[in-house]
Amino acid sequence: MNIRKAIPAAIPFIVVTLSLEWLVRAGWIKAFLVPPPSAVFQTMLRDWPELFAALSKTSTGAILGFVLSAITGVAIAIFLSSSRAIQDAFYPYAVFFQTVPIIAIAPLLVIWFGYGMRTVVAAAFIVSIFPVIANTLDGILSTDPALRDLFRLYGASPATTLWKLRVPAALPQILTGLRIAGGLAVIGAIVGEFIGGQGLGSVIDVARTQQRTDKVFAAVLLASVLGLVLFGLINILSRLVLRNWHVSEQN
Amino acid sequence: MHLARRSFLKVMPVAGLLAACGGKASKIRLALNWKPDPEFGGFYAADFAKHGLDVEILPGGAGTPTVQMIGAGSAEFGIVAADEVLMAREKGNDVVAIFAVFQNNPMGIMAHASRKLKSIEDVLKSGTLAIQSGLPYAKLLKKKFGFDHVKVVPSTGGDLTAFLGDENFAQQCFLMDEPLHAKRKGVEVTVFPVSDIGYNPYTTVLAVSGSMLSKSPDMAKKMVDAAREGWRSYQDNPAPTNERMHTLNPTIELANYGETAAAQKGLIESNPLGKMTKERWDTLAAQLKDLGDIGQVPPAEQCFRDL
Repeated sequence: MNIRKAIPAAIPFIVVTLSLEWLVRAGWIKAFLVPPPSAVFQTMLRDWPELFAALSKTSTGAILGFVLSAITGVAIAIFLSSSRAIQDAFYPYAVFFQTVPIIAIAPLLVIWFGYGMRTVVAAAFIVSIFPVIANTLDGILSTDPALRDLFRLYGASPATTLWKLRVPAALPQILTGLRIAGGLAVIGAIVGEFIGGQGLGSVIDVARTQQRTDKVFAAVLLASVLGLVLFGLINILSRLVLRNWHVSEQN
Repeated sequence: MHLARRSFLKVMPVAGLLAACGGKASKIRLALNWKPDPEFGGFYAADFAKHGLDVEILPGGAGTPTVQMIGAGSAEFGIVAADEVLMAREKGNDVVAIFAVFQNNPMGIMAHASRKLKSIEDVLKSGTLAIQSGLPYAKLLKKKFGFDHVKVVPSTGGDLTAFLGDENFAQQCFLMDEPLHAKRKGVEVTVFPVSDIGYNPYTTVLAVSGSMLSKSPDMAKKMVDAAREGWRSYQDNPAPTNERMHTLNPTIELANYGETAAAQKGLIESNPLGKMTKERWDTLAAQLKDLGDIGQVPPAEQCFRDL
């Protein structure tokens, strides 16, 4: 990671953190409403074993859900791209995954999948799959017509055109979809954990009933870090896959 | 009310975190910690206007942070639990209890009657238990009996689907609510009051901020008077208020409102209604200190006021 690139990003964080600390200490913000960053930091250290165990569980759920939605999402998008009729018939149902309020169906997920990791993964999957489908489909359908004609001139079969042209050409859009899906998978996992128990979601829920806003913030911070890490990993993947040929990865 | 405006200014930087602060001086907001139902019957029955108060009751739901709302000034009065008051005060949130609806804690654990369990301890010997594990009573259960043989999962928030579908599923409940609901769905239940293990905080407590109490003691007194009359009226004749609450919260059937009101009556009745004693607050504080929810036992006089 280029240190020079990290500095501009770190400055707002440092400014906000210091301002918040001052505002709380000076009494402008009441500490029981927004904990001072120092208290959050202390809690992070003191409760680290519990928080780290919770983070591991949430990470597992989010990553599994994300991987599932990545594979399934791309597959569904490829299926949808095969014909206009199929797209018209099934795309609206894909949109359902975008619009269904996960907090409302999470109790149903618990009935079907039980308390524990399966519900968490299911929730992460449902919340994160739509961006993968939408972006992948967009990418596959946006192939340069000139290149499509070229393939046709050479007598390529639809399958060859799909796997040698349309999908590889869609990689930038697929990766965009994955970037969005990563953060959503974390959200989905945490919502699943509110209802299904375990992980950072459970830490947040329990701490909230105890008025431990410092612990809530600590857990939320860790969840954000998890989302950032996923985002970073996909960026690395993007660089590896696109570096040699796509304009978005060339300086 | 010029006090409300000052609290509003202090809270402005936190606007993003809280529900919009009122800032309107004339209206008094009473924030409930659940949807309208018989546990708030007396407040809906109360004639606040007769006491010169313009009160707006704000219904709540799962997770409504009433104790923080009082501290932040987004509600002048709120419904909280006694243990919440003690924990909030320790965190610098000056809330004071002024009227306790439930003299006895209506919280309980319910299990399928077919399991023939004899006590709360039995419930913890097998199966699944859905509770809010952050609450003090849950920590007390864990401390007394341990959760080694039962699978603890998050509370279902009143949803009985899991309970009805699994004989070995037990859950947290309000004595006058979920058990009746389960019976209606054809499942006989055994209910164990949490007070059985000696944990008996006042519940559905009307609270106000300490600063408002000292600046406007008359208003607080009038609120308590109106609430007391309202609860007397509701205890004696809940039907008209139940109809009104039913229009606000139609998810409960009207007949069920009546059943619950009847079931909760004994837990509320006292002379006078809403009264609290120093002994009960001292006991609760000692229990919370023992559980680690508070670090010090505060003087009871700071936590509640007899108005």
